[in-house]
Amino acid sequence: MLRRTFLMLTTSLAVACAASQANAACSPDYSGVTLTVASQTGPYIASALKLGADEWTKKTCGKVNVVEFPWSELYPKIVTSLTASDATFDLVSFAPAWLPDFVPYLSEMPKAMQSGKDWDDVEPAYRERLMVWEGKIYSQSMDGDVHTYTYRTDLFSDPKEKDAFKAKYGYDLAPPKTWKQYLDIAEFFQRPDKGLWGTAEAFRRGGQQFWFFFSHAAAYTNNPNYPGAMFFDPETMDAQINNPGWVKGLEEYIRASKLGPPNALNFSFGEVNAAVAGGQVAESIGWGDTGVIAADPKQSKISGKVGSAVLPGSDEIWNAKTKKWDKFPEVLPAPFMAFGGWQVAVPKVGKHQEAAWDFIKTLTSPEVSGQAAITGGTGVNPYRKSHTANLELWSKIFSPQEAKEYLGAQADSINGKNVALDMRLPGYFSYTEVVEIELGKALAGQTTPQAALDTVAKEWNRLTDEFGRAKQLAAYRAAMGLPPKN
Amino acid sequence: MMRNDPIKHVFIWPAVLVVLAISIFPLIYSFTTSFLSYRLIPPIPPRVVWFGNYVTLLQEPRFWNAILTTTLIAFIAVGLQYVIGFGVALALNARVPGERLFRVALLLPMLLAPVAVALVARMIFNPTMGPLNQFLSMFGLANLPFLTNGHWALGCIIAVEIWQWTPFVILMMLAGLQTLPEDVYEAAELENASAWQQFWGITFPMMLPISATVVFIRLIESYKIMDTVFVMTGGGPGVDTETLTLFAYQEGFKKFNLGYTSALSFLFLIAITIIGVTYLALLRPHLEKSR
Repeated sequence: MLRRTFLMLTTSLAVACAASQANAACSPDYSGVTLTVASQTGPYIASALKLGADEWTKKTCGKVNVVEFPWSELYPKIVTSLTASDATFDLVSFAPAWLPDFVPYLSEMPKAMQSGKDWDDVEPAYRERLMVWEGKIYSQSMDGDVHTYTYRTDLFSDPKEKDAFKAKYGYDLAPPKTWKQYLDIAEFFQRPDKGLWGTAEAFRRGGQQFWFFFSHAAAYTNNPNYPGAMFFDPETMDAQINNPGWVKGLEEYIRASKLGPPNALNFSFGEVNAAVAGGQVAESIGWGDTGVIAADPKQSKISGKVGSAVLPGSDEIWNAKTKKWDKFPEVLPAPFMAFGGWQVAVPKVGKHQEAAWDFIKTLTSPEVSGQAAITGGTGVNPYRKSHTANLELWSKIFSPQEAKEYLGAQADSINGKNVALDMRLPGYFSYTEVVEIELGKALAGQTTPQAALDTVAKEWNRLTDEFGRAKQLAAYRAAMGLPPKN
Repeated sequence: MMRNDPIKHVFIWPAVLVVLAISIFPLIYSFTTSFLSYRLIPPIPPRVVWFGNYVTLLQEPRFWNAILTTTLIAFIAVGLQYVIGFGVALALNARVPGERLFRVALLLPMLLAPVAVALVARMIFNPTMGPLNQFLSMFGLANLPFLTNGHWALGCIIAVEIWQWTPFVILMMLAGLQTLPEDVYEAAELENASAWQQFWGITFPMMLPISATVVFIRLIESYKIMDTVFVMTGGGPGVDTETLTLFAYQEGFKKFNLGYTSALSFLFLIAITIIGVTYLALLRPHLEKSR
């Protein structure tokens, strides 16, 4: 009997010691907490969340359950859950453009997270603009998104190609400075008989199509002389999408669709990456994933031959105020922050708010996010200064020259003088749906670029009136970083 | 005596309440919502607009385009399903060798989820990587824009609908054929009636009631097509393949325009009712004759 009691005591002590040691390893201790995160279907972003989840579990003993939805279903799922005050999700991952719709249901980022080394490391374009809504921070960027240019260095450095190009177009073959040059290059390399096409962009409805069109149009409509007037007039909230700058952008976007592989009209961004990595195209535009995937020898046929640059620009930009083209002394690039990078936020009704923000801290820490950024397929592109400064980190996937060009393009785009911000407005889907429909018609040749954009502008103005012009104007100015209108 | 027994209320009322709760109440709620301007995103307080949503919809070219697209898919697909399905059922009924194997194999498409079928179809019709275009290119033909041209895309959707739902017609028609009396055919053969005469004079009229039912069911189901279109084309290019249900989905679950979507649902209900009633009215004289 005595022996049994002694044995039980010893066992209990051993268990207690083991438990206290385990708890000591959990800092802060969130054992027993399971966070549920809404994400788009992996690997993009969902795998980055899982990477962060593994690190957070090691650190805090809490668990993270990543619930994945197809891209087209993510917005309705999150909206339904938020508006019903349903605590299904402890965290939601989403596009910055949706932030205005979600803000009434999100908790504010703890003040303690809004300072310090890690906070300052986030690029100002995200920290001071895309993460901010009406002066408050409701979300944290977990991905940086800006469109850049990708090209095949083997083709661009081939002396025969260079000579032939110069003979035909009268200037040197190099990453394009203007969209006209971009189309010239695409036309030059359009060789279907050799399995090579000019360029690849997304053209499919529901396939991230309109961001590619916006990238073309940004060069002609994001005028530094009248800031924030790319999508709407920031004084009146009148739609600008049918002005001559936008029409020129659409004409060139349509031209690009004819200089791609035969099924280009069915391309979403995934197919663009496949075409680039498969060596099917000479050049392309898109998010930073393209460069990372193209550099990966496991996924790419052009590994080691990947060049990057800032998007082409223009020396003529439409001025929405004077309704004239402004001429600039040199070509002004307008890198477009398409989509703006995935963000994560914590719903007000979430049961584990403290733990959720702690998870965000780990997920977006320079170490964890840096690892995600160099892992092909996570969908995470640089959004911290440390991401683009650490050449050693990128040498794991890029050659020194590739790394230099890739990181240079990313940093120069995000910090560009005339960087174009994506549209963020309440009712975002209503605004972009009509763009997708009319782009489809224009790409199929069923309507002219001007007629397509006139229809979009009419619908945008109608929507603005329906949602409340003053309210939308205030939201648009806030999104474009302009002060409130008196 | 039993009819006045109050115990009947104990059995009837729960059922009535369940029906009210899960069917009638949402219908009434949705009907009242159709008279409101009511958006969840961005949140706009509900405002009574009476028939405003209906008027807007009836003036909306996209609505009429969706009606036309849905009608085209439904009538062409169901028409071909009926012709092919009846033909195959006749063949199977004629006890061809390996009939059992054919019967099981032909029913398989119907057992698959439409989303899975649409995903496979999307790959098959992929203009460059799809096997169909690769096969055509072996004969020197150019890549066909299966899902990127409105007419081709509509044709592809119809083809998938036919492939998936013809087995349903086969199943129903075969069941009907197997109930037809043998003696009528024996009498016809004694009169030296040809196979064609037997079909037009006996089989077709006797199969008319079941044909009417099969076509009616498939027609109504085809009007509700959503998953196949959603996966294969998303309604594109432009709105060339957008059906009524997809249009309602975009308005309701993408734009959360609840009042407008409710009105759209009721117009959809009215359209389906008109089609159903007209169809039955047109067939009634023939059905009465065949009794």
